[in-house]
Amino acid sequence: MNLEVLVYPFLFLTLYFESFLLVTYLGKPARESRRAARPLTTVPKVAIVVPCWDEGSTVEGTVKSLLALDYPANKLSLILVNDGSIDNTGAIIDRYAEHPQITALHKENGGKFTAMNVGIEYAKDAELIGFLDADSYVAPDALHELVAAFTPDTMAMTASMSIYQPKTLLQRMQYAEYVLGIIFRHVFASINSLYVTPGPFSFYRREVFEQLGLFKHAHLAEDMEMAMRMQRAGLKIGNALRSRVYTKGPPTLAKLVTQRVRWTTGFLRNVLFDYRDLLGNRQNAALGLLILPLGLISIASGIFVFGLAAFQFTQSSLHTLSLVQTVPLSYTFSWHPITWFYLPLTMMAFLSATLLLATLAWMYAGKHLSKTPGKLAFNVVVYLALYGIIAPLWLVRSVSDVALATNTTWR
Amino acid sequence: MPLFIRNSIISLIIAAAITGTVAYAVNYLNNARLTELSAIEDQLSIDTLSLDTQFSLLESAPCDSIASSTTLVSSLADLGNRLSYTENQLGTDNAQVIRLKQQYSLLEIRDYLITKRLAVACGTKPVTVLYFYSNAGDCSACDKAGYALSYLRNTYPSLRVYSFDYNLDLGALQTFITINKVRGALPAFVINGKQSHGFTSLEDLEKQFPKGALATTTSTR
Repeated sequence: MNLEVLVYPFLFLTLYFESFLLVTYLGKPARESRRAARPLTTVPKVAIVVPCWDEGSTVEGTVKSLLALDYPANKLSLILVNDGSIDNTGAIIDRYAEHPQITALHKENGGKFTAMNVGIEYAKDAELIGFLDADSYVAPDALHELVAAFTPDTMAMTASMSIYQPKTLLQRMQYAEYVLGIIFRHVFASINSLYVTPGPFSFYRREVFEQLGLFKHAHLAEDMEMAMRMQRAGLKIGNALRSRVYTKGPPTLAKLVTQRVRWTTGFLRNVLFDYRDLLGNRQNAALGLLILPLGLISIASGIFVFGLAAFQFTQSSLHTLSLVQTVPLSYTFSWHPITWFYLPLTMMAFLSATLLLATLAWMYAGKHLSKTPGKLAFNVVVYLALYGIIAPLWLVRSVSDVALATNTTWR
Repeated sequence: MPLFIRNSIISLIIAAAITGTVAYAVNYLNNARLTELSAIEDQLSIDTLSLDTQFSLLESAPCDSIASSTTLVSSLADLGNRLSYTENQLGTDNAQVIRLKQQYSLLEIRDYLITKRLAVACGTKPVTVLYFYSNAGDCSACDKAGYALSYLRNTYPSLRVYSFDYNLDLGALQTFITINKVRGALPAFVINGKQSHGFTSLEDLEKQFPKGALATTTSTR
């Protein structure tokens, strides 16, 4: 049996997903959410909590970018929470303690969610409470765009994340991945199917915490858990496409894998155990019948397709090697005329090319619509070259950790 | 109709339409390949018949048809390569592929017979290799043997290599196999009438050739 046949169901599902993305993107809710931000008729009071744990190298830039936000100073307060850092994070945020907009807090290390909860306690008078990881930076108009995107029934709002000044190949790969994520988030939000409100620049109405409670440990995925809790409660989560936030991508493979294992195990543990009722839920059919199941299938297919490709590549390489060794190398590397007849124009090749083109188009749309700075072309090449090889590393590890109930670490 | 249901149905139609279009395009291209193969075979069939007729007509000077015969063998090799590629793409049990292989085998046998007649009439000493392979999974060395023969054919263009699927259901081929006394393990070779079996290396294969046979052919190395 040709094992390639097993890939076709995954290819068709991906094609279906891409089609769904397109149809939903062209739909009225998504079109309306892409309209330019209206001037704010009322300016809500906003508090932004910055949980910090050993972020001495980045937290100052984070705070400076927040202070540069184009938003009335008397309506914006910043709450910096030092979660028991052992580096110079505490000293850095203390330098800003006298700033009229800033509250600097120190506590014993208890995990990110505890620092976020402390921040919420101090944001008593804020109508909107937002969060920004201490390794992320915001564009000056990010808050205005985000607040303007709130509609009366929106209870939380996410931003458009991208990678801050990508330098290493892995960061460039992540840049392309993130601009793709921008368009996914935009489309998912238009059908209220977001299942994560990311740490970098997500905002909640105060009522969310009053109604649903504070953040939890949630398998080190507190942002995902809160979004799923909101979805379970039927609360709407939106996306502000032009609210740009830049986050530092892990520069090395070890750090990247650790981060992604945390995200993926968090997704698996929350979806499969704590929020299993969302799977197949007809009340939010887009999330329950499509987005979450496809999220699980994408993990399985990522591992399966990689395994199959690695097996076939190894088999084919060994076969070619044995053939090549049969005759002088000069024959193998001599010019053999190629006509259309020998082009591998197979079903697999055509479908893969279609999906590749669709992905490239979405990446361009994500970057263009969010006005994210940076050059896409080279980063896309790096993404195409590396992602399929590297992603299975964290997928396999995550599935293994969940199956064996192994503890996941933050760093 | 709820937005999600509507979008899901439209997406399913789009995905099915794209898949259907791709399947149609691939099928169209495969048919174009088969048509091209068929056209080449038709042309070769005419060329073979023409050579045969030319040979009969020029009984007083039959050796004038040697040039035509040399051109034909290189066309046969190209057709063999295309057929092998198509067989890999469409599968060994594809009815059209089997039909084309049968026609190809007949062409090879006819060309082999003409070559022998020309050799007798003109006193030439062509080096002919009959190569019998199997792609039923029972010939682990066939790929290597085929590649080595491609190399030899490319290096010595006047070498006449005829490849046959040992398991092909074709009466003429089975008779040809019997006449050439091919039995036992595959791959099997009949080099200028001498049988051998198995493939270990290019050097060992070259040793099967009559002394000086490869040297007297035109090397492109």
